[in-house]
Amino acid sequence: MDFDFSPEEQKFAEEVEAWLVENHDPEVMDHHRENFTQLADTPKRRAFMKKLAAKKWLGMSWPKEYGGQEIEGVYEFILNEALSRHAAPQIGKGVGIIGKTLIRHGNEKLKKEFLPKILNAEIEFAVGYSEPQAGSDAANMQLKAEKVEGGWLLNGQKMWTTSAHFADWYWVGARTDPDKPKHDGLSLFLIPMAHPGLEIQSLPTIGKDTTNQVFFKDVFVPDDYLVGERGKGFQMISEALDLERFTMFTLSPIANRSEALVEWVKKARRDGKPLKDDPNVRRTIAHIVTDTAVAKGLSTRFVCAARSGGKPPTIESSQYKLFTTTLSQRVCKDALDIQGHEGTIMEGQDEAPIRGRFEGAYRATMNETVGGGSSEIQKNIIARRHLGLPKNF
Amino acid sequence: MDLELTEEQQMIVDMTRSMLEEHSPIAVVREMEDDPKGYPDVLWKQMGELGLNGLLIPESHGGGGQTLLEGALVYEELGRAMAPTPHFVSCVMSAGVLLEAGSEDQKAEWLPRIASGDAILTPAWLEPERSCGEAGVALAARAEGDGTVLSGRKRSVPFASSATRLVVLARTEEGVDLFLVDPNAKGVTMKQLLSQGREPHYQIDFEDVRVSAKDRIGAGGTGWTTWDKVMHRGIILLAASAIGGADRCLMETVEYAKERVQFDKPLGAFQALAHYMADASTNIEGGRVLVQEAAWNDAQGRSIRRFAPMAKLFCCETYRETTRVCAQIWGGVAFTIEYDQQMFFRRAKHLQLSWWDTPYLEELIAADVLD
Repeated sequence: MDFDFSPEEQKFAEEVEAWLVENHDPEVMDHHRENFTQLADTPKRRAFMKKLAAKKWLGMSWPKEYGGQEIEGVYEFILNEALSRHAAPQIGKGVGIIGKTLIRHGNEKLKKEFLPKILNAEIEFAVGYSEPQAGSDAANMQLKAEKVEGGWLLNGQKMWTTSAHFADWYWVGARTDPDKPKHDGLSLFLIPMAHPGLEIQSLPTIGKDTTNQVFFKDVFVPDDYLVGERGKGFQMISEALDLERFTMFTLSPIANRSEALVEWVKKARRDGKPLKDDPNVRRTIAHIVTDTAVAKGLSTRFVCAARSGGKPPTIESSQYKLFTTTLSQRVCKDALDIQGHEGTIMEGQDEAPIRGRFEGAYRATMNETVGGGSSEIQKNIIARRHLGLPKNF
Repeated sequence: MDLELTEEQQMIVDMTRSMLEEHSPIAVVREMEDDPKGYPDVLWKQMGELGLNGLLIPESHGGGGQTLLEGALVYEELGRAMAPTPHFVSCVMSAGVLLEAGSEDQKAEWLPRIASGDAILTPAWLEPERSCGEAGVALAARAEGDGTVLSGRKRSVPFASSATRLVVLARTEEGVDLFLVDPNAKGVTMKQLLSQGREPHYQIDFEDVRVSAKDRIGAGGTGWTTWDKVMHRGIILLAASAIGGADRCLMETVEYAKERVQFDKPLGAFQALAHYMADASTNIEGGRVLVQEAAWNDAQGRSIRRFAPMAKLFCCETYRETTRVCAQIWGGVAFTIEYDQQMFFRRAKHLQLSWWDTPYLEELIAADVLD
C-alpha cells in the first residue's frame, strides 16, 4: 500500500505546478468561473492549450504511432488535477473521449484529419449526446440519421451541448437504425460546428456560463464522418467513458473551495469576535475537512483501480462521483450558512465575503449531481453492478 | 499510489477472518452479551496463539512488531465478527501506554504477558458527569510517602473483572498521571453496568487505594500527553472495526433484499431501498480508504493528528447510518432480538459514543485546521 505518487510522478507533478505558476494569467485562470474553468472558450484560453500541447502534455497516454508517449493515464490525472487546481482549462474531451475513440475505431481519414489537430490543440469539440427525450436515459436518442447518397442526413435536436457556441467540431450520437433495439440503433458522427444546417440556441444557466440546445435541419454528413461501425454508437460512448476515467470529474476545485473557506474563517470576525471560535463553525469545518479527505480517498481508489489495467473502474468512479458531487454542493451550502446574511451578496462585488466566491459556487455546483450521470444513475450502477441487486427501473 | 495488500497482509486478513468465523460466530457473540466476563477463553487463546494479541507490540517485547496498517486490517475483521475480546483495552491501549511511557521494568513485566494473552490490562479512564477530554480526569491522586493514594469513581471500564491490572488515569498536583493498579488491592470495588454494546463494563470505586512509586507510568504530569498519543493510534483501529461491522451489516442486508419479496418484487428492486444500500456502500468504501490512509501515514512515521479523528468520526457515523438504513430495509424484524440486525445497530452507536465521542473528535479536527 502506498498513498504517495512515485518519485517520477511527483517530479512530473512538481514540473506541472511550477509551469502553471510561471504561466499564471488571470484571464485564463479564474476560480470564479467554477466548473466552466475547464473550457478553452476564448482565444487566450486556446492559446494556453497550445502551450500545453507544446509541452507535449496532450495525448500522453496515446499510442506512440499516433503521436502519444504511451505513458500511464495517471499522468493525465495529475495534469488535470493541477490544471483544475489553478482554474485553468483542462484536457478532456479531445484527447480523451474523441481521440481515444478514433484511435480504436476511427477510419484512416478521420485519424489523419483529427488526431494531429487534437495533439496540437488546434481543435475544440462539442459533445452531443443528450436530447429532450434522452437525459438520464441516454440510449433513447432520437436525432434521426437517414441514409442518403454518399452520406447521412441528420434532423432533430440536441440538448445541453455546453461548448457548441465556441467549438469547431461536433461529436454527435444519432439514430441510424430505428428498427433495431434502442442500444443497437445509434451511430457516432463528426460534424463541423459551422454547418449551415445547425442552429445553436443558447440556454443561460444560473451558473457561470451558458449551455446550448442545437437544432439539426437536413445536416448532410459524408459517409467517412460516421465514426467506427454503424450501430455501435452506444457501445463506443460507454467504452469512451471507461477509457477516460483519469480525466473525469476533478477533486481539486472542491479541495480548493474547502481551503478558501478555512482561510476565510480563520480571519473573519463577527460581533468583534473571531468567527473561528464559534462552535457551530468549528463543527461544520471539521466535517467539511473530513469529507474532503474521504473524497480524496475515493479518488485514490479509482485511480488505483484504473491503473491496475483490469476491468474498467466503473464502481469506483461511480462511488467517487456520487460522493464528491454531493460534497461539492454541501461545501457551498455550509459556506453560505457560515457567512449568514453576508452570503447573500452576489458574486463579483468587493463587499461580498471572498468576492462572493460561495454565492457563485452555490449556483454553479447545482448541476454537478445531474450532469455526467446523475447521482441516481450512479446509485443504480452501484446497486446493480457492485451489490448485485436486481434491475430496479 | 497503490492500494493492494501485500501477500503477508492478505494472509493476516484471511487467517483472522477464518479464525473468527470459527471462534466468534454469531451464537458466541450473543452468548457473551451481558456476560460478566464477556469473552470466551477459547477465542482469546486462539488470538494469542495466532499472534494477534502481540501484533502491535515490538518483537523485543514478545510481539509481532507489525504496523498500524496490519492492525487496521485485523480490526476490520474483529469489527466484522463483532468479536467479544479485551484486545483493544489490553493489547492496544494498555500496551500502547506502556510502550509510550512505561519504564523498562514495567515493559519487561507486562508487555510479553499482554502479547501472549496471559495478562489483561484495561484502562480506567472515564468518570461520572465528566467529559472524555483532559479536564474530565478528576479522580484524586494524593502523594503519600513515596507512593500515591487514589480516591474517586471510574465508569465504563471494559473487562475490568478479568483484569490483572487497571491503568488508571488520575489527577495529581502536576496534572494527569497514569498508574498501574491491582484490581484486588484494598479499597477497590467494582460493579457491572450493562452497556448498549453489551460489552462487560464496570463502575469502579477507589477508596484510599495505595499505589507504590514503581507503579506510576511516566514522569509526573505527562499522563494525558501519553494517553492522547495512544488514543490517536487506537481510534484508527476502532474506525477500522466500524467499517468491518458496517460492511457485514450491509452485505447481510443486500442478501436479504435479493430474497425478500413484496409487491411481487425483491426488495432490492425498489430504488428507494437500493439507493440506501448504494449510499451505504459508498460511505463504507470511502471510510475504509480513509482508515488505510491514516494507518499508512502512521506506519510511515507521519503525523496522524488530523487523520485519526477524521477516521473515527467518519467511520463511526458511517457504521451508525448503515445500521439505521439496513434496519429500514429489514423492516419490523430488525426490531426483534431474534434477528441479528439489532446487534449491529446497538454496537454502532455504542462505538460512536465510546473512545472519544463526536463533539470531541470534531473539536480535535477543528483545532488542527483552524487554530
